[in-house]
Amino acid sequence: MDQEKFEIQAMDFMSGTMSPKETKDFEKFLAENPEYDEKYKALLASWELIENLDTPEISPQMDEAFFSMLSDEMERNKKKETKKPFWDGIFTVFRPQLAYGILLLAIGLGVGYYLSSPQQPKPIETTVSNNETEEVRQKLVLTLLEQPSANQRLQGVSEANKFENADEIVIQALLQTLNNDSNVNVRLAAIESLTSYVDNPMVRQGLVQSIPSQESPILQITLANLMVALQEKSSIEPFKKLLKEKQLDTTVKKRIESSIESII
Amino acid sequence: MQNLTDNTLMMQVKNGDLNKLGLLYERHKKRLFGFFYNLGNNPSVSEDLVQNVFVRILKYRKSYTGEGSFAAWMFQMARNVNYDYHKKAKKQRVSPGISPEDANIGSEDGLNEALEQQGNVFLVKKALNLLPVDKREILLLSKYRELKFYEIGEILGCTEGAAKVRVHRALKDLKTIFLQLETR
Repeated sequence: MDQEKFEIQAMDFMSGTMSPKETKDFEKFLAENPEYDEKYKALLASWELIENLDTPEISPQMDEAFFSMLSDEMERNKKKETKKPFWDGIFTVFRPQLAYGILLLAIGLGVGYYLSSPQQPKPIETTVSNNETEEVRQKLVLTLLEQPSANQRLQGVSEANKFENADEIVIQALLQTLNNDSNVNVRLAAIESLTSYVDNPMVRQGLVQSIPSQESPILQITLANLMVALQEKSSIEPFKKLLKEKQLDTTVKKRIESSIESII
Repeated sequence: MQNLTDNTLMMQVKNGDLNKLGLLYERHKKRLFGFFYNLGNNPSVSEDLVQNVFVRILKYRKSYTGEGSFAAWMFQMARNVNYDYHKKAKKQRVSPGISPEDANIGSEDGLNEALEQQGNVFLVKKALNLLPVDKREILLLSKYRELKFYEIGEILGCTEGAAKVRVHRALKDLKTIFLQLETR
C-alpha cells in the first residue's frame, strides 16, 4: 500500500465513513503491518488532541450584535421593497402593452414618413399663395393709408407690419405717412413699422430726411432714440437743424443733444 | 424537516426571508467561533469575525446558488474574513499572534494546573499556533465532524482525496510539533 492511499484510508477509517467491508480490510491491514499500525495510532492520538481543544463560551454581546445587525438589515430591506413594487407593478403589468405601443408607434412613424415623402411640391403651392396674399395685402395697405379715418390708417400701418419683405411701394407709402399724416399716433406707428426694414438704405434715408419736418416731441424723441440705436451719422445734421430752427421742448432738446453726442 | 436544512434555509434568506438567518446563526455560531478562536484569535476578535461572516453572508446572499453545502460556503467566507482581518492587522502593525488573554491563561495552565489534560490542551494550542496557517485551518475544519471531507475539499478548492491527504499530513505535523514541545 502506498503512502497516499494509506493516508486517505486512515482518514476514512478514523472518521467512520468507510463501508463495513473496507473497515475490515483496513483493520486486517493494520494488524499485518505493525509499522502502519504505529502510524495510525499516532494519527489517532493527534486527532484526539484536536478534538479535545476547547473554546470559551460565547458572550451574549455577540448574539445581541448579530440580531441588531439582522433587524437593521431587515428594516432596510423592507424600505427597499415598499419602494420597489410601484415600478415593478407598472413594468410587469404594462410590459406587453409597452412593447406593442412602441412597435405601433414605430410602424406609424414609418408609414407616416413613407406617405408624406412623395408630396414634395406642396411648399411651392404655399409660396405661390403667399405671393398672392402679399399682393392683396399691399393693395389693402395702400388703400387703408388713403382713408380719412385715423383708425383705419393705423390699421393700414399695422397691416404693413405683416409683410415679410416689404417692397418699395409700401415703404414709400409708409414714409409719406410718416411725413404728412395729420395724426401723431399714425406717424408713430409708421416709424415703428419702418424700424423692421432699417436694413434698407432707402428706409434709413427717409427716416433721416423726415427729422426736420417733425413737430411732435414724442416723434422727435422716438426718432432720436432710433438714430442712436442705428448709429446713423447722417442724422446729426438734420438734428442740428432741428435744434436751430424750431422752438423745442427743453426735455426734447436735451435728449437730442445727448443723442447727437452719443452718435458722434 | 426538508424545509429546515441549511441549504433550504439559506435559499429562503436569499429570497428575502432574512429572519431565517437567525436560525442559521444559532446553528453555526459555535463552530465558527471555535474556528476563529483556535486559529489564534482572542475571544473578542473571534466574536467580531463571526459577526463579519454573517454580514458577508447577508451581503452576498444573492450569490448563493444552493449547489454544494451551506457549511462549505460559510467556511469559505470564514476563511476569507480571517484572511482579510489579518491582512489589515498586519498593515496596522498589530501583532496577530497570541493575545494577552491567551498568554495569561496559558501560563496559569502551565504553572498552577496539575491536571495533565489541561496541560495537554495548552500544548496543543501552542503546537497549533506553530503550524502554518493553511495546515491550522484544515485541522480546524476537520475538527468539526459534521464537515465531510468533500466539503473541506470544496472549501479549499481541491478534491476529496486531496483533502484527506492534507488533513492526514497536517495531523502528522501537529503531532511532531506537539512531541517536540512536550519533551522540552
